[in-house]
Amino acid sequence: MPDNWAFVLAAYGLAVVVLVMYWRFLVRREHELEDAGIVRQQLRQGSRDPAA
Amino acid sequence: MRRLLGFLTVLGLAAGLVMGFGVAPREATQGNVQRIMYLHVPSVWVAYLAFVVVLVASIVYLVRRSETADRLAHASAEVGVLFTGLTIATGSIWGKPTWGTWWTWDARLTSVSILFVMYLGYLLLRGMIEDRERGARFAAVLGIVTAFNIPLVHFSVLWWRTLHQPPSLMAPGPAPVPGIIKAALYVNFVAFTLLYGYFLTRRVRVLRLEAEAEA
Repeated sequence: MPDNWAFVLAAYGLAVVVLVMYWRFLVRREHELEDAGIVRQQLRQGSRDPAA
Repeated sequence: MRRLLGFLTVLGLAAGLVMGFGVAPREATQGNVQRIMYLHVPSVWVAYLAFVVVLVASIVYLVRRSETADRLAHASAEVGVLFTGLTIATGSIWGKPTWGTWWTWDARLTSVSILFVMYLGYLLLRGMIEDRERGARFAAVLGIVTAFNIPLVHFSVLWWRTLHQPPSLMAPGPAPVPGIIKAALYVNFVAFTLLYGYFLTRRVRVLRLEAEAEA
């Protein structure tokens, strides 16, 4: 049977693309939420301290 | 801790590639296309693992109403759907040169597709219900009911006459694969399990941050 390397490459390539995309989605979402959390915390501190 | 898990995952995946492409021999009947197995089989293993975690976390949620368990079930279902999709796609790519077709309505392929659609439905259900507590409760019930499909998928190749080969591992009786192929598979199982753990911890954290943002 021929080796069909193109199919092997397609399977591994697809897996790399999908897994990297999911990893990037998780990292970006986490950073967005962390940044939003910092802003919320600063706003809360600002509203507690009217002199600030 | 998460950095260490990430490092170990990358190390495991690299070792898996070395085992799959460097150490494991060219398979006599299928040729090198059989190397897709080192990606396809660990993917379905992670899918099974993820859905068993959904089952356990769902039971824990219904008993204790623990938000951590709910988040764990949600995150694990998402990662499970990702790996089930990967299993179907890589299986289809492997099927074309070996079976001569991208797809056939055989028992294994059909049952795994049903599993995929059911957990996709589970995720949609979670997104559709606005009341968080109610959504979590419904999802937990669905997470338990849907898990009954997992043994059906795994044993479908033994219970019905199918085009799909019998289980390479976790089969009754001696494994039908030689030692070196089994070793390459085990290394990839460990690597993919680490990858599952890494994705799961990240996704759980994202869900926690989302809940804090909504509060």
